[in-house]
Amino acid sequence: MSALDRLLGALPYAFAVVIVAGLTHILSILAMPYVATRDAFTRIGELAQANRFTLLPQARPGAELAPFSDPAMLMGVCRFNIADGPVRLRADLSNVDGLLAFSFHDRFGATFYGMTDRSSLRGRIDVLLLTQAQLEAVEALDPEDELPQDLRLVTPGREGFVLVRSLIVEQGDADAARKRLATASCAQEAPKR
Amino acid sequence: MFSLQRLSYGAGPEGAKQGPKRGPLRGASRNAIPQPSFRAALDPCLLTLLKSLVATLVGVGIGLAATWLAVERDVRFGLVATGPWTSWPRSAYRDADPYTRASLARTGEIPLSLGEGLSFVARQDETGAALDPRCDYVVGGAIPPARYWTLTVMSPKGALIPNASERYGLTSAEIVRASNGAFEIAVSSRARPGNWLPAPPDASYALALRLYDTPASSSATALAASQMPHLRRGACS
Repeated sequence: MSALDRLLGALPYAFAVVIVAGLTHILSILAMPYVATRDAFTRIGELAQANRFTLLPQARPGAELAPFSDPAMLMGVCRFNIADGPVRLRADLSNVDGLLAFSFHDRFGATFYGMTDRSSLRGRIDVLLLTQAQLEAVEALDPEDELPQDLRLVTPGREGFVLVRSLIVEQGDADAARKRLATASCAQEAPKR
Repeated sequence: MFSLQRLSYGAGPEGAKQGPKRGPLRGASRNAIPQPSFRAALDPCLLTLLKSLVATLVGVGIGLAATWLAVERDVRFGLVATGPWTSWPRSAYRDADPYTRASLARTGEIPLSLGEGLSFVARQDETGAALDPRCDYVVGGAIPPARYWTLTVMSPKGALIPNASERYGLTSAEIVRASNGAFEIAVSSRARPGNWLPAPPDASYALALRLYDTPASSSATALAASQMPHLRRGACS
């Protein structure tokens, strides 16, 4: 058997290695969001009950919610599950002079909506998270001559979380940021039929 | 006779050629003890199977190693670099590439959405040299318009680094500015007068700049380096 013969004989196996490696790599990258055990949703699930607004402790070294989170932002979270009815998120911004930022995430942490208190309507944030079917049910009950007073967001999937961040404008001013955050609430609406 | 001769001639050499060749071959497979024949029949098959199995295992190993490396090194697409400041403006969204999604799932990072603002990370100074914990740095100059912004010292993996003054970042409301609005922030492990952001004296770090409520969100890919703060190296010890 010459060296060339041996090389040609090994070629199919080398080819197989490359193909299997490529497939494994692609599949494992795609599977990562489904198998990751320390993703944002899991971390939040350990800290917050579903459909309730939970204030998170201020970030300290070794006790942060997630990497690359701003220590100047005090955070509150609403982990939602709209399987049994829409979830309403409210915040009162009538005397806010700092900054409140809201981000809406699906179960995999991807953002489907983001806004700051600038987007408030008459000094209030009023967001209804619902499924397409729930949206249709809610719209059927809307009075015809009035525009809805709330922002209605159809969520991708039943579960996810809303992160509310309140800026600690100056160090030592965490109380004011906490007060702003404490105006937020999150609750499941009774299913309307 | 003629035809017979030809026949015999034709068969003769063939028979003479094939006879001795076939003979030993057949004889070997027929007369040999069972073991060699077993090996002769199964070996190529078994060997192929074994080789295929090894090839598959090696392939799976390489594939998983590549995935681990990609996630550990935080490989992502869609990087926008403006001077030393790097940003992944689309990483928060569902249309982010699979590598970004995999990295974020693994680290648990929650990127800022464009509706809230923009975030940048600097791991190098403006000349392209890695941030050196033995050196001081000065951040200042221009900054894109934003309602608030913050500058934070973090570990390269995005964790807070403990320091004695428990100050990890500065907000735009805290800093002292010159009368024309210009500012300079000293990033140093030693206390500085004016705007001082403590940095670790012995560990590598990165700087995170976050612009909240900024019109630059809509043009994240078009920010010019001149609109972003400079990041200059000062004295080194």
